[in-house]
Amino acid sequence: MSAHGLSGPGLRLDRLPRRRRMNHVMEALSWLSAAVAIAILGIVVWSVASKGWSELNLDLLTKAPIPFSLTNAPQGLANAFAGTLVIVGLATAMALPVGILVAVYLNEFAPASIRTGVGLALDVLAGVPAIVVGIFVYVLLVVHHGGQSALKGAFALAILMLPFIARATIEVLALVPNSLREASLGLGVPQWRTTLSIVLPRATGGIVTGTVLAVARVAGETAPLLFTSSIVGTQVHWGPTQALQTIPVAIFELSESPDPKDHARAWAAGFILLLFILFASLTARWLATRSARKLAGR
Amino acid sequence: MPKIGTSIRIISAVAAAALLAVVVAGTADAKAGRQTSTLTGAGSSFVSPLVAQWVSPIGAAYGIELQYSAVGSGAGIAAITGRTVDFGASDAPMTPDQFNACNGCVQIPWALGGTSIMYNLSGVKNLLHMDGPTLAKIFQGQITKWNDPAIAKLNKGVSLPDQAITVAHRSDGSGTTYNLTDYLSSVSPSWASQLGKGTTVNWPVGVGARGSSGVAGIVASTPGAIGYADVAFALQNHLKYFAMENKSGKFTTPGSRGILAAASSDQKPAADNSLSIVNPPKKFPNAYPISTFTYVIVPLQSNKAADLKHFLFWAVTKGQKGQYTAKLRFVPLPKSVLVVAEKAIAKIHS
Amino acid sequence: MSAADLSAEPTRRPFTGRRVRFGDVSLQVVAGAAAFGATLLVGLIVWKVVEGSRLSLSTFGLGFITRAEWNPTVGHEVYGAGSFIFGTLLTSSLALLLATPLALGVALFLTELAPRVVQAPITALVETLAAVPSVLIGLWGIYVLGPTLRSQIEPWLHSAFGFIPLFGNPSSAGASVFTAVIVLAIMILPIVSSISRELFRGVPPELKEGALALGTTRWEMVRGVVFPYARGGIAAALILGLGRAMGEAIAVTQVIGGTPTIQWNLFASGDTLASKIAASYQGAPSNLFSSSLVYLGLILLVLSLLANITAQWIVRSVARKHGVTRGGRA
Repeated sequence: MSAHGLSGPGLRLDRLPRRRRMNHVMEALSWLSAAVAIAILGIVVWSVASKGWSELNLDLLTKAPIPFSLTNAPQGLANAFAGTLVIVGLATAMALPVGILVAVYLNEFAPASIRTGVGLALDVLAGVPAIVVGIFVYVLLVVHHGGQSALKGAFALAILMLPFIARATIEVLALVPNSLREASLGLGVPQWRTTLSIVLPRATGGIVTGTVLAVARVAGETAPLLFTSSIVGTQVHWGPTQALQTIPVAIFELSESPDPKDHARAWAAGFILLLFILFASLTARWLATRSARKLAGR
Repeated sequence: MPKIGTSIRIISAVAAAALLAVVVAGTADAKAGRQTSTLTGAGSSFVSPLVAQWVSPIGAAYGIELQYSAVGSGAGIAAITGRTVDFGASDAPMTPDQFNACNGCVQIPWALGGTSIMYNLSGVKNLLHMDGPTLAKIFQGQITKWNDPAIAKLNKGVSLPDQAITVAHRSDGSGTTYNLTDYLSSVSPSWASQLGKGTTVNWPVGVGARGSSGVAGIVASTPGAIGYADVAFALQNHLKYFAMENKSGKFTTPGSRGILAAASSDQKPAADNSLSIVNPPKKFPNAYPISTFTYVIVPLQSNKAADLKHFLFWAVTKGQKGQYTAKLRFVPLPKSVLVVAEKAIAKIHS
Repeated sequence: MSAADLSAEPTRRPFTGRRVRFGDVSLQVVAGAAAFGATLLVGLIVWKVVEGSRLSLSTFGLGFITRAEWNPTVGHEVYGAGSFIFGTLLTSSLALLLATPLALGVALFLTELAPRVVQAPITALVETLAAVPSVLIGLWGIYVLGPTLRSQIEPWLHSAFGFIPLFGNPSSAGASVFTAVIVLAIMILPIVSSISRELFRGVPPELKEGALALGTTRWEMVRGVVFPYARGGIAAALILGLGRAMGEAIAVTQVIGGTPTIQWNLFASGDTLASKIAASYQGAPSNLFSSSLVYLGLILLVLSLLANITAQWIVRSVARKHGVTRGGRA
């Protein structure tokens, strides 16, 4: 392995002070980069928290929005919170079984060539921009097919979640020791039973982690929902056959409004969304380290 | 034989329960006592403040939940043509081609209002004077500063700052744009020949925004900006707007008096129910020259015919009452227009 | 279970010629169908997007890609992707230019300089930035970043470097390409940084220690050992970041101002493929308009797929070269 610039004249001792200075400069820049990255995160979170604070109250979760309100009646974003729960829940219900099945197939049954091919397809799918997924579902299911609905929005989000869940499940299935499978098969348990009752339960931790990360990813996703669930009413609904308002779409629309009170509500809803996503990401990370330790420790 | 893993059991049980709950809630929700049906509509943002006032009284009177999305008149026409909504709304009357594409739609005037020309300039009063030709030059980018002699001439005694004018216009297909460009075409020959009138034009200068609230947002946040939207948006956001010079030389504002005077310049809807009240002639001295009727577009045959008729009859009668329209500066429909509207609504059938 | 039982290779059916059970076959069929469906999904997406753009494709053909006009005037409708492609490429490449040194710096910090006790929390913090939804970063861009840039940074840059066409006259409206570039840089920073960090961690320690033993400073070791070793992977990370930046619709449309032109002034408003689609999809006044928007989406899809596949190909060839399986912990 050739190392550039490490031979001969590059390491001259008489240049040592200059080389040391260069090293210090680079190390300082590296520290600075980390500081900047953390500062950016801090600034964004601080802005969201401080600007949303004034509108952060129970009304936000329990009252419906009143566009063009001529009175000062209390309003909130109850319909958006309900809609987000429904749509993200349905998306998870759609993506989870498919993701697990794909991972099971790739890890337990597929020959190498198929594994590479499907794995590549999953990685490519992960790189499709969310707005293109929105166009796809719009052309496939919305236009000429009865209009928008929460189910169609959930389908779009499920497409975004699928690669995350599949990849996480593949990685954790690969970590389950082969000896377990062999022992089970040696005892006469059929392969399908082995996979479902022996292997998958060991992988639960990783599956949950992958799912939580996928949920965190799509809970804040706006673009696909603009196409599938944006012509909505102000009341709270739980039925998935009509279009439901969601928090990211509500924030998007409120951010373009000229009314400062709308902005404050957008910040407040954003704060709650951010808290949820941060909590989910950190939980997933904690779960991941815990299950990795468990699998390695046995 | 090992049983299916407990964790898998638990996960599938939770997921099944959640799905079941959603489905049950969905069907229960549909049958719930209060709201029995929904009407979805999309289109004009000009009329959206008024439609928003109608939502709860309609719900109380008929149990219909109105879901209206202010996506702009152009998109409203496209939406009802594609039947992705139950009704569309547009301030720009449909062209014959659009009627053909809509295949059995009727347009019905259901509100009357005025387009305000809003501005953001600190240190000057509200209701500065403006006339058509000067406004056209501003939107064409030929007048770029507030202290331009043309503006100063109209506002003698007001000290105008040396501030750049930022034009804010609609980026989406907009009936309000149609109203403004209709007016500008009638007062400025160069506008008529170079840009014409339409729901979108090739704006030579300015920043684009989505919806009337988008334009109001740009004006509110940009010092020196000029934009256009239904006067309700100017009032809601405490934005200043111009007093426009009409054909008789008076400077009028988009209030009830000015809009009503403009409406009396065209009392008979055409065959397609459209009316044109832009830049009324001299004999209407109090008219505000950028006023417009706005239309709801419905298919004559619809499986929501009963709900639509309840909604629309209510909208053109009770919905025009002062408690809904006054604060937003919409003016109740004149009698002659109301008669035509009701006749058209009665034709809707399932 | 001993460590030797942990295989990097997934399992195979250990006994051949065993009696095939119905349960086995059904599981394999169902799971195989899922895998097949997932693979088909990409093809289906491409097909449906092409179908949605068919009207515009037949009306404008390939000339759409280079035409810089977007005129929705009824009766004279002419659409073209030129200004949006320009905007997408300009904003994404500048964002990458801004984000890369920062991302590499962070990755180096975490692998070489950070005390062990802060490594995990700081890694978590940087990756948390990736979790912030784009609509929130856009909201922050409109009301915090944009005004700050408009009132302070842009005038200063214009007065100091105004001779460069990039730093022209600041627009009065606050929405600008510059704001969009910074927003995009913030959004791709975590991706590039976390991939680079994994790459740097994967450099064999004996190579690094060998260089240090020769008397290099730490920076020289990084420059001479770490970067060349990770070179391919970093290229893949950059391309992935570029792809992500090109596809970002929401945050960009909130801050960029929506003016389709081809001009270099960063402080004026502009537009990109993704942001135009997000801004106009709802308000499409005609079938040709919405078909042209889908055509824009098709171009965006092709660009993203190109970036993604290139990055994947680099990753796989680098992995082959270095003999590690994908996702394996070195």
